[in-house]
Amino acid sequence: MGKIRTVGFSRFSEVQTAWLFMAPGLILLAVFTFWPIIFSLPLAFTNYSVIGETSFVGLENFKRAFSDIDFIASIKNSLLYMIIVPFIQIISILMAILVNRKIAGIKFFRTAYYIPVVTSMVAVAIIWGWLMSSNGVLNYLLMSTGLLSEKINWLSDKDTALWALMFITLWKGLGYYMMIYLAGLQAVPNDCIEAARIDGASNFEVITKITIPLLKPYMFFCTLISLMAAIRVFDEVFVLTSGGPGNATLTSSVYIYQQGFEQFEFGYSSALGLIVSFIIMFFSIFIFVFNRKGGVNPY
Amino acid sequence: MKNTNQLKKLISKFFVYVLLILFAIFMMGPFIWLISVSLMPGKNIFAFPPAIFPTFIDFRNYLEVWEYMDFLKYIWNTVIITFLGVTLSLLFSALTAYPLAIFKFKGRNFVFLLLISTMIIPAAAGLVVNYLTINAMGLINTFTGVVLPTLVSVFNVFLFRQAFMGIPTDIRDSGKMDGASEIRIWGQLMMPMIKPAVAVVGLFEFMANWNSFLWPIIVLNTEKYPLASALSFLNGQFSYNFGWIAAGTVISVLPIIFVFLFTQKYYMEGISGAVKG
Repeated sequence: MGKIRTVGFSRFSEVQTAWLFMAPGLILLAVFTFWPIIFSLPLAFTNYSVIGETSFVGLENFKRAFSDIDFIASIKNSLLYMIIVPFIQIISILMAILVNRKIAGIKFFRTAYYIPVVTSMVAVAIIWGWLMSSNGVLNYLLMSTGLLSEKINWLSDKDTALWALMFITLWKGLGYYMMIYLAGLQAVPNDCIEAARIDGASNFEVITKITIPLLKPYMFFCTLISLMAAIRVFDEVFVLTSGGPGNATLTSSVYIYQQGFEQFEFGYSSALGLIVSFIIMFFSIFIFVFNRKGGVNPY
Repeated sequence: MKNTNQLKKLISKFFVYVLLILFAIFMMGPFIWLISVSLMPGKNIFAFPPAIFPTFIDFRNYLEVWEYMDFLKYIWNTVIITFLGVTLSLLFSALTAYPLAIFKFKGRNFVFLLLISTMIIPAAAGLVVNYLTINAMGLINTFTGVVLPTLVSVFNVFLFRQAFMGIPTDIRDSGKMDGASEIRIWGQLMMPMIKPAVAVVGLFEFMANWNSFLWPIIVLNTEKYPLASALSFLNGQFSYNFGWIAAGTVISVLPIIFVFLFTQKYYMEGISGAVKG
């Protein structure tokens, strides 16, 4: 108990109050975020699974991982998935610029673009799974406009499946990033733009010389978030392809899940999780350093 | 001169609307098609050329899937999970954020570092251990076990912290002068001031809980599934019955769209606070 300072004031000192406020949140974080990391460290060096006795196996799991064709393929696919990051930024910034104006019905359009974001990935995956099937609407539209000569089964063809999934991820995320960029655009002072216009700047110059530089902290934020989302992608792959055909769409999260909850190889799954953590850590540090150099600090 | 200028404005406005509508078709089209599939029972959606617009309207799919799947039960499960998730998450995140914004205390930077480091840790890696933890706590097949692991997210804590930092210091001081305890100042003075942040965090948590499907599948038995899990189950079981799945999907999507329409006026305000920092 802290000493009673003034009657009627808090019975606790500020420091104690601070920790009391944070206690529930920090305890939850400790148990469900830090404990998994701490506990998966020793787990990764064992052969812990539902069958057989658990014993220490040293670096066996890691050796196995680096010669596991499926795991290597899953890392490759996860890294390839990051290609969507720049596309997300470009398209969502353009969308934000498009909806950043006061005209009739603009609220309707903003809402419409955001609907895929609030919808569950299961629902989105079901819809796009149908649209992209070989007799689906997508093939029909592409063929009737002459863009495609024969039907493609987008999600079961090993050459197109990963790209089809990337497209779905991109489509679902656009509205989210658009809203963040829109918030950024609305924070751009109007005088700035008007002054530039008076000096004879064209629309294009206003966008490249004023809007984009002022959006930098938002771009950093969105790049980081979308990169993390891309490298961790799970739901759409799990629902639509489960990594198939073969391992064409196997991503690292899906593979870690499969090893843990379908093969029940908890030890091996933990080792894979650690390897992927290191890869994610590498990329986030890279972005933070890159950002520091640019002199932008959103936090 | 004046006329050509006006014409130019009119043309550019026309192009803006064309672009807006094209994007709207791109983003909304799949949903509209889904609704039209759900309203045409017995229609084969894989017929070529496909039926894009409904040629007739019949609500039979809705009635059948409602009856067969016991949708009311799944909706109820989802409502409980979402209610628990949203309220507890708002409470704990706002409590954690408050001292980080208001007080200067030893260990504050350490807490910050801890919070930021969680952003680097991949979620999939923790799944197995969290399952073991929930199991050890005896919370398998409970709704508490579903919501507990994701209650505190760093994003929410930062968003709240930012919002608290925007409140003028006199407000807390005036509360202190009146002899209010810190928890009363927090609950009765500060929380009402940060409504946009509450709306944004509330919406994000609503989305996350309403739409979560993997963790509930791991923790719960089939009869306790929320909608999204039930939907992926339905999709696996009755993949031939498109009408039912379409109707089920529409039912699961409508409530969350409604909640979004309700909170969106606070949305921009809350979001810009979170990113700018």
